[in-house]
Amino acid sequence: MSSGSAFMPARSKRGLRRVLVWIVIILATCWALSPFYWAIITSFKPPGVILTKPSLIPFLQFKPTLFNWKNEYISRGREITGALANSIIIACGATLIAVSLGTMAGYGLARFRFKRWKNKDMTLWFLSQRFLPPMATAIPFFILMKTLNLLDTRWALIMANATFTLPFAVLIMRDVFKELPVELDESAMVDGASRFAIFTRIALPLAAPAVAVAAVICFAFSWNEFLFGLILTYKKAQPVTVIIAGVEHTQGIQFWFVATRLLAAILPPAVLAITAQRYIVRGLTFGAVKG
Amino acid sequence: MIAGGIRERIPPFTRGKMAKKEGAKYFFVGPGIIWVLLFTLFPLVYSLRLSFFRARLGMGQQFIWLENYGRAFTDYRFWSVLQVTVFFVVCDVALTVLLGLGLALLFHRAMRGQRFFRSIFTMPIFTAPIALGYLGLTIFHEEVGAVNTVLRALGLLHLPAWFSNPWLARIAITMVDIWQWTPFCFLVLLAGLQSLPAEVYEAAVLDTSSGWAMFRHITLPLLLPVLFTVTILRVVETFKILDIPFSLTSGGPGMATQTYSFYIYLTGLRNFNAGYASALAYLLLIVMMAISLFFFRRLRQIYE
Amino acid sequence: MKKLGIIVALVAISLIAVQSLSAQLISGFPAANEREAQTALAAFEEADKGKPDPAWQGEKFTIGVYSAGQRGAISGPLYFWRNKFEELTGASYDIVEIPFAELREKIFTDLQTGAGRYDVIINCSNYYGDYIANNWILPIDKYFNDPRMPKWDRASIAPAVANLMKWGDRWYGTNNDHDAQVLYYRKDIINSPKWQAEFKKAKGHDMPVKMDTWEDVLEICDFFNGKDWNGDGKPDHGITLHLRVGGQGFFHFMAISAPYVVIPFPGDPPTKVTRYHNVYWFDPVTMDPLINSPGHVRALEMLIKLSKTGSPAMWGWSLGEAWADFLSGKAVMTFSWGDVGSLAEDPTQSVIMGKLGARGIPGTKAPYDLQQKKFLNLAKPNMVGNQVGCSWHPVISKYAKNPDLCYYFMAWQATAPINHWNVYMGWTGVDPGTTYDWFPPYGKATVQDYVDGGYNADDAKAFIGAFQDNFYNYKIFQNYLRIPGAPEMDEIWDVHLSEAITGQVSPKVALDRTYQDWVRIVADYGKSKLLKLYQESIGYKP
Repeated sequence: MSSGSAFMPARSKRGLRRVLVWIVIILATCWALSPFYWAIITSFKPPGVILTKPSLIPFLQFKPTLFNWKNEYISRGREITGALANSIIIACGATLIAVSLGTMAGYGLARFRFKRWKNKDMTLWFLSQRFLPPMATAIPFFILMKTLNLLDTRWALIMANATFTLPFAVLIMRDVFKELPVELDESAMVDGASRFAIFTRIALPLAAPAVAVAAVICFAFSWNEFLFGLILTYKKAQPVTVIIAGVEHTQGIQFWFVATRLLAAILPPAVLAITAQRYIVRGLTFGAVKG
Repeated sequence: MIAGGIRERIPPFTRGKMAKKEGAKYFFVGPGIIWVLLFTLFPLVYSLRLSFFRARLGMGQQFIWLENYGRAFTDYRFWSVLQVTVFFVVCDVALTVLLGLGLALLFHRAMRGQRFFRSIFTMPIFTAPIALGYLGLTIFHEEVGAVNTVLRALGLLHLPAWFSNPWLARIAITMVDIWQWTPFCFLVLLAGLQSLPAEVYEAAVLDTSSGWAMFRHITLPLLLPVLFTVTILRVVETFKILDIPFSLTSGGPGMATQTYSFYIYLTGLRNFNAGYASALAYLLLIVMMAISLFFFRRLRQIYE
Repeated sequence: MKKLGIIVALVAISLIAVQSLSAQLISGFPAANEREAQTALAAFEEADKGKPDPAWQGEKFTIGVYSAGQRGAISGPLYFWRNKFEELTGASYDIVEIPFAELREKIFTDLQTGAGRYDVIINCSNYYGDYIANNWILPIDKYFNDPRMPKWDRASIAPAVANLMKWGDRWYGTNNDHDAQVLYYRKDIINSPKWQAEFKKAKGHDMPVKMDTWEDVLEICDFFNGKDWNGDGKPDHGITLHLRVGGQGFFHFMAISAPYVVIPFPGDPPTKVTRYHNVYWFDPVTMDPLINSPGHVRALEMLIKLSKTGSPAMWGWSLGEAWADFLSGKAVMTFSWGDVGSLAEDPTQSVIMGKLGARGIPGTKAPYDLQQKKFLNLAKPNMVGNQVGCSWHPVISKYAKNPDLCYYFMAWQATAPINHWNVYMGWTGVDPGTTYDWFPPYGKATVQDYVDGGYNADDAKAFIGAFQDNFYNYKIFQNYLRIPGAPEMDEIWDVHLSEAITGQVSPKVALDRTYQDWVRIVADYGKSKLLKLYQESIGYKP
């Protein structure tokens, strides 16, 4: 898929360049992973050591212990797994809705011309949904869900998150669809294909990796959403972000639980992100028209 | 600019006999628009209406027209949080977009293990910002934190107390924020890069083999729409930054890292001064609308 | 697909495994060990059980509390005693935990919108202003003589804290936690002859080990700061404080400034509230904020000086970091809540068990007299007791469907045996404040109780002694701000204090700004309305 390999500079330069590239990649990877490493070792440190001893290397500088993990899962295990399940359901549901509606809208904005309400204005309108800070609409959302009798349900959060992440899908997919050459669509139209068929058989397969990216981003935003998860739920539909916020109480922040909960909260999305991207792409390219 | 001549920008379906089939366009954008309207109409109207009232807890609502908006301009906290937020917007967006672009170009080459590294780079955006902020307290701890441990090993004698100094606190927040959001820019820019048609490069390689010239004259112009989208998304999101200042510095020391959203949160949900909070939110909306419109007008030919 | 299937299977198995994990029950308690269950059972047997109404069988109510888990502070006892409550009444309760930082937002949203999901709320005492102004909670006076309800002793509560459960003459809350700040110090270091000799050499006079005044405290902390007094080869700290904005730092200022501002009524009783005596927050006649009085400014200067006798990072420390400095043996002093005392006994977090010294908050010999408009020069220091903090206790929401059942639970938890058990079991986070928590002659508790709860005997004596002092030996008290808008005032005050402490503005400017902000907040809420509520809450009779 990469078009950069179509040309090659001179041999020796290529070798040096490759080494430099790899050094940068390694550094960047370390930078991306270092907070996780820190979270892992912190979760294995005895509570008394976390704030009193500078220690980066387990076994050498501190004695790792399962104390925090045991504590967490014996006393909060049920809440945490429940919250993880809630978060997974909410994020998946919201992503499904946001990406489906958003991809279609992105395609529509990229390929059609609207007269009354111009394309760019519509795009701006979708973008403007992200302008308002969440707390401005927190209370009215609460009232809305209370009226619909949806307080403390996962549906409320699915709908809220779908609404908030839809603009990402629209904007990203719009750009990607615009990049796709129009000629493909035109030739299919000449063959008599319907608009929707062109969308599913030609445009989607070509844009499949971008759909995966949009899905990842919508999932991430829904997964990390805190304010509405707090306001709209009481107990049954609490997402994992609220459980994480619960590390702070009158005796301060329990840093050892910050580490364990951060790691627990990153596991499902990491797994999903790594595995799902491939399946999204595969699924979308399944009906591709070759050539 | 080669880009302008490469392809037509006018959508094809409005030409000739295709124009009659325009009905389909509503089918594509309709559901999305209806969904958004359904869930945002009531909250928007409610909060907009509230911004014209004095609505404190335990007191009846009084219609005070634009007084809330006017009050913002004489509120020293409003100006303080606006400055702080603009600082974060400028620094964060510039750094995350540049870093994201650099990483995307890096990963755009064919190489083994690309998927593995891409997955690794996706992980930071799944980290709950609140957890990250709390973890950051231990990372930036003056004596035992990771950052200062490394600085100490490098020989620095006077270790910074990150949260005792306004500028150090801001830098700490910027560092955490960049860590979290560069992957976002990276992913979107990479997707954009990978969707660029290969023929363009094949044509160009006949003209020049310099990587930098390729980038400047071909890649960059083609990538500009995606770059623009990423930038505007980052600007919009960073204007609302809340979770990390909330958990990492609580807006401190003093008000040095109290951002606009934080102030709205305090005003609306802590102090239950709902009218003023709504007004502040809509003022932010106006600012962001102005910025977006400016972007749209300037880059009209690209963003049609 | 196979890989995904394996992962999903693993996750599902671990989820199921975790769900089946639960604490084992001893004598019906989810206790950690036999001793805990034994003492709890004894307390249960001894406590008054009233006569539960048979109509309560099968009922359920909801308690809202901040999030701390099944063995956490304040929320822990709710889980611990739930089985026994079911045994007694046939009814049960749901515990809904709310993240601490968002507690007030959730509760007030619930009450304001009429959602009414919480029947009982374990709240912070400074919510009362808004509760009363909006009529959100139910008074409980009518239950005191109800034969169904357990009897608990209202007279045994330290008067200062008892006031926080009432408004005017009506009771709203039941006895639970009692917050106050006391001074903790390393008695092995302060009382060591070696260091006392060094101090004398350096300063020319004896170390003022009694630490009656803040000036003494400053001297001692200044002396110890930077010296290696714990023998680890690295320079150590004098004092440690949690001064971070939003990190409950302003409570430090509240405690330290009380003796500079609150002076006793020169007649009898010394606690009488007049325009110039026993006031701290506002002028009770004009509702003018007092927060930038010269006494307040001088106290802030003292706090800033103190904050320089320790780690420079303490300006950004919240509770965890600040306490860790003391509990790990790096700081020689701190002043904070009862949690420090109970955490000092926790071997996973503290190395100072057995070395804890404590005393009531110090005073000053030079308080500011608002009437005479000058600083006094007293022979004996002005000591002011405090109840800073929240004093978490339950109240009944007006939306409660079964208020009688709710009150039964609250009263049962407030009975002497159970409340005392909650106090001496350190992990519950319930701090002492009733006569049965004190040692003779103030009360009937024994050191053995606390040793059962995991305390070192000497530490318990020091710890309880300090609180006893604070609640009973200090003649006057700093009153508690409970008017509507109090949290908003606290927030902006906290911000300005942080600005002064970190050197961004001078103390006087910071407090002047606070004054301006408070004037505006008062005007927003309505000065006459707030004045009336303020006068009621502090007991001022015009």
